[in-house]
Amino acid sequence: MEYSLLTILPIVLLPFFAFVLNAFIVKKFTKTAVALSCVAIFIPFLMALRIFADFVFNKYSADYYIHKTFTWFDLSAGTQIFKVQMGIYLDNMSAVMLLMVTGVAFLIHLFSTYYMHDDARYGRFFVYLSLFTSAMLGLVLSDNLFSVFIFWELMGFCSYSLIGFYYEKEGAGNASIKAFMTTRVGDVFFLLGIVALWSTVGSVSYVEIYKAIAESSLSSPVFLFGFGIPLATFAGFCIFMGTIGKSAQFPLQVWLPDAMFGPTPCSALIHAATMVAAGVYLSLRMYPLMDAGGLLEFIAYIGGITALGAATIALVQTDIKAVLAYSTISQLGYMVLGIGVGAYNASLMHLITHAVFKACLFLSAGSVIHALHDHHTHAPVQEMPRMGGLRKKLPYTFLAMLFCTLAISGVPLFSAFVSKDRILGDALLMATHSSTYIIPAILGLCGAFLTPFYMFRMMFLTFFGEPRDVELNKHAHHEHFSFNRNLPLLILSVFTLGFWYSGSLTGQGELKVFPESKYEWFQVLVEKPDLNKFLGRTSTPLAVPESKEFIEHSHYDPNHGITSEEEAHHVHLVHRVGAIASVVIALSAIFLAYCMYISKKFSPAWWTSNFARWTKALQNRYYFDHLYIDILIKRLLHPLNNLLAWIDMGLYDRYAVDGWERVLAFSYSVARWFDNIIIDSVLVDGSGISVRFFNIVLRTIQNGKIQFYFLVLLFVLASYVLAFKPVI
Amino acid sequence: MGIIPYIVVSCVLFVCGIIVMIARKNIIGILLGIELVLNAAALNFVTFTKFNNLNLDGHIFALFIILVAAAEAAVGLAIVIRFFQVRESVHIDSATQLQS
Repeated sequence: MEYSLLTILPIVLLPFFAFVLNAFIVKKFTKTAVALSCVAIFIPFLMALRIFADFVFNKYSADYYIHKTFTWFDLSAGTQIFKVQMGIYLDNMSAVMLLMVTGVAFLIHLFSTYYMHDDARYGRFFVYLSLFTSAMLGLVLSDNLFSVFIFWELMGFCSYSLIGFYYEKEGAGNASIKAFMTTRVGDVFFLLGIVALWSTVGSVSYVEIYKAIAESSLSSPVFLFGFGIPLATFAGFCIFMGTIGKSAQFPLQVWLPDAMFGPTPCSALIHAATMVAAGVYLSLRMYPLMDAGGLLEFIAYIGGITALGAATIALVQTDIKAVLAYSTISQLGYMVLGIGVGAYNASLMHLITHAVFKACLFLSAGSVIHALHDHHTHAPVQEMPRMGGLRKKLPYTFLAMLFCTLAISGVPLFSAFVSKDRILGDALLMATHSSTYIIPAILGLCGAFLTPFYMFRMMFLTFFGEPRDVELNKHAHHEHFSFNRNLPLLILSVFTLGFWYSGSLTGQGELKVFPESKYEWFQVLVEKPDLNKFLGRTSTPLAVPESKEFIEHSHYDPNHGITSEEEAHHVHLVHRVGAIASVVIALSAIFLAYCMYISKKFSPAWWTSNFARWTKALQNRYYFDHLYIDILIKRLLHPLNNLLAWIDMGLYDRYAVDGWERVLAFSYSVARWFDNIIIDSVLVDGSGISVRFFNIVLRTIQNGKIQFYFLVLLFVLASYVLAFKPVI
Repeated sequence: MGIIPYIVVSCVLFVCGIIVMIARKNIIGILLGIELVLNAAALNFVTFTKFNNLNLDGHIFALFIILVAAAEAAVGLAIVIRFFQVRESVHIDSATQLQS
């Protein structure tokens, strides 16, 4: 297949044009604008499907890529080269991401036509969605960190706008600012990392960075406060900080739960499926840099802490969207843990599977919220204690949500069992090799126990049992099948099945459903970039269609590149133990949730009363908001702000600025005096006066009286005679 | 008889001529004053030639001065006549045409 401008660029540009056009027409022609937005994401979906089919069925090597560049601007002068290039980087990973983003985004657009239909700002929502989709697709297609950063910030802006979409609601504005500012902390580091790479590599494109790592030219130290650390460590850490901010990892996770103020479809698209996953995507792209910088253990710890911490907070949430928000943080923690333990492929797989089932979960939650309407406050209800027994009212939503909950729980045959189990299996494997990985592996397994528990708690509280708020339940409309409400949910829930992603149940070659390894398409498709292959490759200009020169088939290796039989046996053993452990863990957690919330054998109240302090800590989200707002901002940043304000206003303004003003006023008065007296009075007026004086003198002398001239002559002669006395 | 009486006479003549030139307002009078001054100068030439040198330079110079004085008087009187024809006056202060 030919890859040229026409087959790649519209993926980004169509949603962008839809955004630009809709921004103008949305008030008058709302329906046209909405339709335009949906079409502008459906066509990229078809194009992405074409690219995906090409990459998967033609089985290019995992290192095959298409890299097209154009010069954005060129400020080179003489030997100083300063050239910024933009471009498109398309490899197997981008192909998968493109398909996921366009597909999920299209379904969410479709669902939004149902969910947002009665909203006063129905059209504006789609304007933001189009811009966001365009930015996300641009990020996936970017070939360098700089354009990634641009799209990254654009998505941050869309996230900000959509969180504050219901700006009448108290808290929505604050939440949007909180989200924007918290991610900004990570973004500053990210930019610093880009600058650090630029200063050494001279380019920020992936290929150049991979080349530089392969040539190990990034090991030169940078000096921070007198400590020399390798540049790869510094840049890798900074870029990973960007991931921490965007993907809501510990310790910057505080913004994502508040982001639930936005409309539910936007939570599904931005805060579950795509934008927060973009952070993980960036870390995957920069995996060689993190590896070279020796940051993987740090990343594994961050991921493990996030996975378990967010899962524990999710246990006590009563808002259905808050549960899903913490679940998202927790699952993102698994992806980061996967990067940390070197499970490159599994991490991306979890990103994709998570995007599908979490988008579906959020859309189902949106469907539930939309169905429940409080007739006293005229507000949709999100509180799970007021739900219950909705299974019969919302059969399709229940079905979709059940599938997704089974998927996220890691029940066999479903997608997260494949992806999460591979991450946990690799974590266990790393733990057997190095003792530093034991703690992240344990954190991950504990989180894997909590995930099914809180998800089934949510399911049981929402759909099972007797209605707890009878009046609310009575008013809830019975769900009829409609294409824009239920179809996206059902399509997404179909893709939560595991066989779409792997031929074996665990994804590790264990428990094969299909005996041939060719069904392991995902593992064939994506693997860690082989850096040495990037040496000596060059990009092609944007306008030139790609020619197929090096199509190398790659094959799934069930032994993961391990040649020694003993080692392979060990790997298999660990993976098998991991798979069995996660099945046992998932089922026992589901059983525990069943006992607590359906059969009521254990009372949740017993736990909350006996572990009251823990419950309080969990309800207060481990006091992170308190830590940041009351301690970090109020105690530290406000006094610092006041100090700086005092330095600025009290010292600098008062003494430097005002002092300088006084110096200027003094020199002004000196200058004025000089001007008035010397220039005006003496020089200007003086020259006039002198002219007038000589006028008088000369006029007096030249009076035209001949006899006066005689006298003057006489005096002159007499003075000559007297002056030159003859020497006698 | 020494040189002093000659010089005294010529000084008296010179001073008289100057005073006439300055004080008189009549143009003819002024011309007369000029004649007096010239004559004083001629007298000086003759005097110094007589007492200091034995050549005739001073005498010849005196003759020249008489000649020049005659020419000057002729030209001056002609101007005065012409002036009188224009202004109908020989008063020196009425000669104002050269003033701006």
